[in-house]
Amino acid sequence: MTTTAIPAEAQRTAGPAPKRRPKREREGAAWVFLSPWVLGAVVLTLLPMAVSLYLSFTDYNLFDPPRWVGLRNYTQMFTEDPRYWRSVVTTVTYVVIAVPLQLALALVVALALKSMKHGKAFYRSAFYAPSLLGASMSIALVWRAVFNDGGTVDNLLGTGGWVNKPGWALLAVALLTVWQFGAPMVIFLAGLQQIPAELYEAAAVDGAGKWRQFLSVTVPMLSPVLFFNLVLQTIQAFQVFTPAFAISAGKGGPADSTLVYTMYLYDRGFVASHMGYASAMAWVLLLVIGIVTAVLFRTSRSWVFYASEGDR
Amino acid sequence: MPGHRTKGFCASAAALVLCAVLAGCGGSGESVGGGKVVLRYTWWGNPDRAERTERAVALFEKQHPDIRVQPSFSGYDAYKQKLAVQASGGDAPDVMQLDYRQIDQYASGGVLFDLGKQKSVLRTSEIDPGLLDTGRVDGVQYAVPQGRGTETVVYDVKAWKDSGVPLPKRGWTWDDWAESMRALKERTGRPGATDPGWSEDSFEVWLRGQGKSLYTEDGQLGFTADDLTRWWTFTDRLRREGAVSSAEETTQIDGTVENTPLGRGTALSDTNWDAPASGYLAIVPSGIALAPMPSGEDGTPGQYFKPSMFLGVGASTSHPKEAAQLIDFLINDDEAAKILGATRGIPVNETIRKETAPLLKDFDRTVSDYQASLEGTLKDPPQAPPSGDNALQTTFQRDYDQVSYERMSPREAAENYVTEAKAELRS
Repeated sequence: MTTTAIPAEAQRTAGPAPKRRPKREREGAAWVFLSPWVLGAVVLTLLPMAVSLYLSFTDYNLFDPPRWVGLRNYTQMFTEDPRYWRSVVTTVTYVVIAVPLQLALALVVALALKSMKHGKAFYRSAFYAPSLLGASMSIALVWRAVFNDGGTVDNLLGTGGWVNKPGWALLAVALLTVWQFGAPMVIFLAGLQQIPAELYEAAAVDGAGKWRQFLSVTVPMLSPVLFFNLVLQTIQAFQVFTPAFAISAGKGGPADSTLVYTMYLYDRGFVASHMGYASAMAWVLLLVIGIVTAVLFRTSRSWVFYASEGDR
Repeated sequence: MPGHRTKGFCASAAALVLCAVLAGCGGSGESVGGGKVVLRYTWWGNPDRAERTERAVALFEKQHPDIRVQPSFSGYDAYKQKLAVQASGGDAPDVMQLDYRQIDQYASGGVLFDLGKQKSVLRTSEIDPGLLDTGRVDGVQYAVPQGRGTETVVYDVKAWKDSGVPLPKRGWTWDDWAESMRALKERTGRPGATDPGWSEDSFEVWLRGQGKSLYTEDGQLGFTADDLTRWWTFTDRLRREGAVSSAEETTQIDGTVENTPLGRGTALSDTNWDAPASGYLAIVPSGIALAPMPSGEDGTPGQYFKPSMFLGVGASTSHPKEAAQLIDFLINDDEAAKILGATRGIPVNETIRKETAPLLKDFDRTVSDYQASLEGTLKDPPQAPPSGDNALQTTFQRDYDQVSYERMSPREAAENYVTEAKAELRS
């Protein structure tokens, strides 16, 4: 994008290279240009994070000043709070259902779009649309209506409303996430289009069928993209909030069955006014997502194929 | 190119997303209305209350051309959550409707304005001193009661009569009530009532009928896990028999009458507060009536007259005088009283109560007569619930969910609740 400017500049200043400005001055300019981002990051992200870390060691009900309690929030979470553990189990269940389903659907649609001759742009946009809509509260509310007693699903399948059955409600939440497969789909599609056509031609010459080509060319060539999507979607899935909130009408019910981690965090912080405890929960979540991501990176060594490494 | 998609890129992208984990969001807007003072006025209620409140507010704006009121309302559950977030963010509305449960917490948390400072504008002399005191915390008048309410068994008159089951009458006990529910189920095929096990309010009525209370005077739990186990065993048995609503029905209750089993047409009665019961008129076409709550086996009444709701002013308001004017209007203005009727309970202004009682129409009349029939028969109300009660009300529903969905026995859930409640009240 910006590289085109450099040759022009180079032509104009042809001749002896101008003396470079002092390093400090150049750094100053960099900071000025960075300032909108830096300000935002410091004021809106780093400061609140620091405050939240401090609050996690306090008892803070929003109205009275925070009271230092050391590690009590953390010990209470791990040893005295059965609902905390229920929310952990619910969240892990959700991640295990939603992420693979969403990625599989994104990949299938991306493959179908890749081989399309006409109307690719239209369908790409059409499949991406749910991702734009899905984050909104209104769609989540529609989702609740669809899966409620007397809703579309109840009428078609006669199962009753999923959102009022503890065993089914989480599935309705997961399906809303799966439906928003647009972002990983677009990334898959970009990845697919980067795979050199000659690889497929070579495979075809060697007598490989479609399925064989998929397994031996597409999957390995796509594995970095697959990995990228997996990491991103996993991180997001651990933080799911809006669909669970809207579909359970803000309660995490029925019987805590959709009380995912962030819902319980919200419940502790804003309903029960235990901001210290909620902050501690947020930090544990950050840590856990970090660990899960690290584990994914570790295992990726055995299945992600980087073309650049092959050159080495 | 795939070759460019290095591990480093993946790692930094992941790190970036990870950084966003703890980022929160927030925002507030100060609105300006063309030189006018703008007051935000929030409350909870049903569409009937909304319609009347809007008319009253319009009249207020006519009387005070320099003030514009921005009303906003929602169901009780949503209101409670939203107000908590606004209050903690220092963005409490100028005038807000408050529940008995919220007074202590918000007053001691510095969310509420000392109304004593606007005495000259906000007249309280017409309010019964005992009732007025319920809006005081540590001797400061933080809120003014707006109406008086009590609990009731509200029922579909026609369906109940048609079933042939004897109508509820004064002095019935919880056993009589349970027998009626069973009979209704048998004759009509529909559950007789909302499963009352979810409701902390109904539990309190049952508990008081046995001479106990939700909280002791020093703000501790006034009952034991055994008491709660007995209550939940009682309601759970009725639910299993189909005499009260199923778990799937009960869990949909969200503080609006529309989403109660009676409102959805799947049960014949509901236990609710008397004023909001007016919302049933629009959705139960065959008509509704109010009966007293069941009493203890020895006839001890459990229900009581309670300030049904309060009005308070946000401590951070920039227009305390105008906010006080609005409250004064809602409580003391004759015309406003005529419009509002009993939609927030029977008026607290005694002159207005006496003057308007004969003028009350329709359902307002029903509520007024219902309260008159109980006058002098009920015991004193308990003192304002401790701060933790606001959260415990929700915990109560959630723990009962575990019972009604048969994931826990009444005993397990009751012990859970008592543990949680003790922790909540300690902190």
